[in-house]
Amino acid sequence: MRYLKWGFWLVLVGVVGVFLSYDLPRHDIVRVVGTEVRRVDFGENSLFWAAPDVGTASATSRDVRFINTVRPSGKALVFRNEDTGWGWPPYFKLDSSDLQAQAESLISTKAEPIWVSVTRYGWRSRWLTIYPNAVGMKVVPGPDARIIPWANIIILTLLALVVLTIRAMWRQFRERSIDPLLEDAEDAWDDAGEGARNWFDRLFGRK
Amino acid sequence: MLGLARLVLFGLIGLTLLFWLVRIYARSLKREALEEDWEETATEGRAELPRDAFVEKGLRAYEKSLLRKLIWLVYILPITLIALVVYLMNYT
Repeated sequence: MRYLKWGFWLVLVGVVGVFLSYDLPRHDIVRVVGTEVRRVDFGENSLFWAAPDVGTASATSRDVRFINTVRPSGKALVFRNEDTGWGWPPYFKLDSSDLQAQAESLISTKAEPIWVSVTRYGWRSRWLTIYPNAVGMKVVPGPDARIIPWANIIILTLLALVVLTIRAMWRQFRERSIDPLLEDAEDAWDDAGEGARNWFDRLFGRK
Repeated sequence: MLGLARLVLFGLIGLTLLFWLVRIYARSLKREALEEDWEETATEGRAELPRDAFVEKGLRAYEKSLLRKLIWLVYILPITLIALVVYLMNYT
């Protein structure tokens, strides 16, 4: 029972952790080297691609905007640029086209780099061919600009408040509604036990 | 637009559930506080009303209070937050 309980909490924490790791916004400081639109046929990895643009029909294949960038270290980092629309994760991003235009206007060379901080969520996996989704970009002074993750601070604080509130509500419910019932049941059980004992005592003539 | 309709529908269902849970919770807290108040005055021997009447009176006053009306924020805050995120994400 104890292992079951620990296992339950472990799985829950794991699932929540994976969700947060995928869905929370993160920042990458990069130099944009190009943008492209290419057709993608979704397969096993369709879960990691957003829905089609708001207002367009759904299909298993469509054109997706990509933003190719390079990190200060020289490593490549490719973003997809898709609407999240009104679905999950709740970024309500409807302006992929505008972001693409912004990315194109920020293309720079190695000699004269323009560093941008790209806000994104999602993972890059070469095995699954999935890309993080860029949700915003901002020019920063240099490759080691300091970025304070306000959105994450606010989201995690709110999440902690929600969890604590639910816990407090559950405790109040248990204290006020379940415990009295259990006490009643216990009393009734004790009475019943006593009754049964008396009956046995009478039956076997013991007192 | 279907996506938005779906969000509004399920969002309102979720918020309504939350609204009632918070309302029941807040009322339960208030009732508990009132019961404790009564116990306190009763041990000092200056309880004017019997326990149930005192609690009922307190809860009737609570039902008209500003605090209870503030529970409507359960609807207002998330909707404002979504509107804010839509604005920040797409128009700035």
